[in-house]
Amino acid sequence: MSENTNKVGKRKKNRYPATDYERIFHPRTLAILGVSAEEGGVGFGTGMLKSIMAMGFEGKIFPVNPKGGNISGLEIYKRVEDIPEKVDFAIIAVAARWVPASLEACLKIGVAGAEILSSGFSELGTAEGRELEKQIQEIAARGIRVVGPNCFGIYCPASGLTMLPGPDLSRQSGPVAFLAQSGGMSIDFAHTGKWLGVRFSKMVSFGNGADLREAELLNHLARDPETKVISMYIEGIKDGDAFFREIKAAASKKPVIVFKGGLSHAGARSVASHTASMGGSRVIWQSILKQAGAIQVNDTEELAQVNLAFSLLPHRSFKSISVTGGGGAIGVTACDTAEKYGMDIPSLYPELQARIENVLPRPGSSAINPIDVANPFVGPEVLKEALLAAAQDDRIELQIIVSLLFHYKTIARMFGKPVSEVAPYRELAQAVRDVVDQTGKPVIAVLPNVKKGLDDMDITELIALTRQEYMNHGIPVFDELHDAVRAIAHMNTYYGRRKHEKR
Amino acid sequence: MKNDKAMKMIDKALRKGQKTLSEYDAKQVLAAYDIPVTKEILIKDKEHLEKAIQKIGFPLVMKGCSAEIAHKTEKGLIHVDIRTVTEAKKAFREIMAGMEGFEGGVLMQEMIKGRRELVMGLTRDPQFGPCVMFGLGGIFTEILRDISFRRAPLEVRDTQEMMQEIKGHKILEAVRGMEAADTKRLTEMLMAIGRIGLEIPEVSEIDLNPVILCGSKPVVVDALIVLK
Repeated sequence: MSENTNKVGKRKKNRYPATDYERIFHPRTLAILGVSAEEGGVGFGTGMLKSIMAMGFEGKIFPVNPKGGNISGLEIYKRVEDIPEKVDFAIIAVAARWVPASLEACLKIGVAGAEILSSGFSELGTAEGRELEKQIQEIAARGIRVVGPNCFGIYCPASGLTMLPGPDLSRQSGPVAFLAQSGGMSIDFAHTGKWLGVRFSKMVSFGNGADLREAELLNHLARDPETKVISMYIEGIKDGDAFFREIKAAASKKPVIVFKGGLSHAGARSVASHTASMGGSRVIWQSILKQAGAIQVNDTEELAQVNLAFSLLPHRSFKSISVTGGGGAIGVTACDTAEKYGMDIPSLYPELQARIENVLPRPGSSAINPIDVANPFVGPEVLKEALLAAAQDDRIELQIIVSLLFHYKTIARMFGKPVSEVAPYRELAQAVRDVVDQTGKPVIAVLPNVKKGLDDMDITELIALTRQEYMNHGIPVFDELHDAVRAIAHMNTYYGRRKHEKR
Repeated sequence: MKNDKAMKMIDKALRKGQKTLSEYDAKQVLAAYDIPVTKEILIKDKEHLEKAIQKIGFPLVMKGCSAEIAHKTEKGLIHVDIRTVTEAKKAFREIMAGMEGFEGGVLMQEMIKGRRELVMGLTRDPQFGPCVMFGLGGIFTEILRDISFRRAPLEVRDTQEMMQEIKGHKILEAVRGMEAADTKRLTEMLMAIGRIGLEIPEVSEIDLNPVILCGSKPVVVDALIVLK
């Protein structure tokens, strides 16, 4: 024990190598090794070059291929050493056997970091693959940081770095950082974030994680001022001690959201006690994440939803909420859901109920809370009045408005007009924004859609338009009430714990 | 700082090639870490029976005790609620016969009265090392699996969360005329189990089941320590 403590004590200073993350995430000069020298060539290097150009990367790009030539109007350098400028960051997409030499060349010219897209390393499970990866580690240790190999790379909206194969990711920066070994999971989340309204500070898919990986990146992101929320998809980790230390430290500064995959393959260890037989990987991971103060989610949808909530809502807990909507079984569903997640939907003060009743259509409406506006065609002005009144109740900390916009199809049909013309979605989003501005209390929009068939593509479009409108106003949109309430519950757990810590 | 007494017992067991500690030895290790265990005396000889009875007092529990015997209940090696010397002598004979010549003796143990049974334990996770368990004990442990884990070392706050986290957490409150559990003592016990995990790598697993709440006070009634 004492020996162990000493080791930790010594390591504490300069636990990680000095790293110029600025040059890695926001490079001004970029070398891409392994672009195709032939016209019309394909491959990761060329794909990455085209994607980064499509993203509008503002820095200089130096493609490299021993054959030289030109690609997309850029001169191809035969050797990294021939590049006439200092290079901040390199993207390496050459065949695995050429990777060590390429990385060595980058180190030699003072590149701060490199992402290695190439595969053919330890993931193969062959001696040759492992040996090549070891060489990468040895070169990295001499002064160049490596992301990968076998990864999709870094996505950083602010700088225009993108991961494979993302020529069309958002250039809007935001609070969320995302880490994963899996490139597929990363690019999927980047695309989801784009339409859902989750904006990223940076995203790193680190593949085999030969050099930079979860613990060290967590350490960096915890200190990164661009990052307010950290999200991760984890399959395996390298070092339990380091991971636990860093995720706990990070979670004490900002929310850390974890989707742990691969829990079904609980190792069949041979054990003698009941304790050990009950402590399989699923339950241990749950416990470890709770102990660290991180938030565990169970699928990619929940991951995206929780990130949306943390991104757009004030950083606090919300115990008491109002729910407004009409045309569905809103009252009962809302109460059931809120109770399940430990939230209150208090009956509004009588004078506020009276005020709301005054504007709602009768009969069929209810102003108690949940506020049932009786039909889905109640206009934005009336909804605004109801929300403004409900916010007057000092117990209400957050409001949810559920809009069943798909019902507008009936009206569209009646008047022979497109549904996006008859549904007042722009006015609705504006009204909600006004309510937030006037009351200082956040509002969440929920847009369920029960019409998703081929004959209702106009509804799908209407929902997308409405979501976009809300997004432009900074209002989070969820598909279902349950998703919204569950996301808030995660915030409540996180900020409840933080409050407890500060006490 | 290693606990010398506990280490000595474990070294001895390892030298003998044992894979587990006997219940008696396990409780000695726990006691060395200030974990409250039943008052008990191990006897190998009928001659010591009455002296042990005097020290422990009726009612008592008598158990076959050997590092080589697990599943004492199934083998009929546990006799509870013994209230007379005659009963004790009979139990002694039956247990010794049931031991089938394995090394060990008869454990004379105070009978802890309490209706609330808890479980505590230790496992070693391949990634995260020693992890401490807390939950509902007795026969409910495996049926309900109402348990929570924390990685060692445990902070006070971790132990509080473990207690709140189980679905049956109300069992620790003052319910049905029973006193609220001494959660401070439970906290100390869980932290001590974590320390055993960190300080004695030779201990691979621990089961303390049941830990009975005697009034408000938790007492370890049965203990298994598995060695590496």
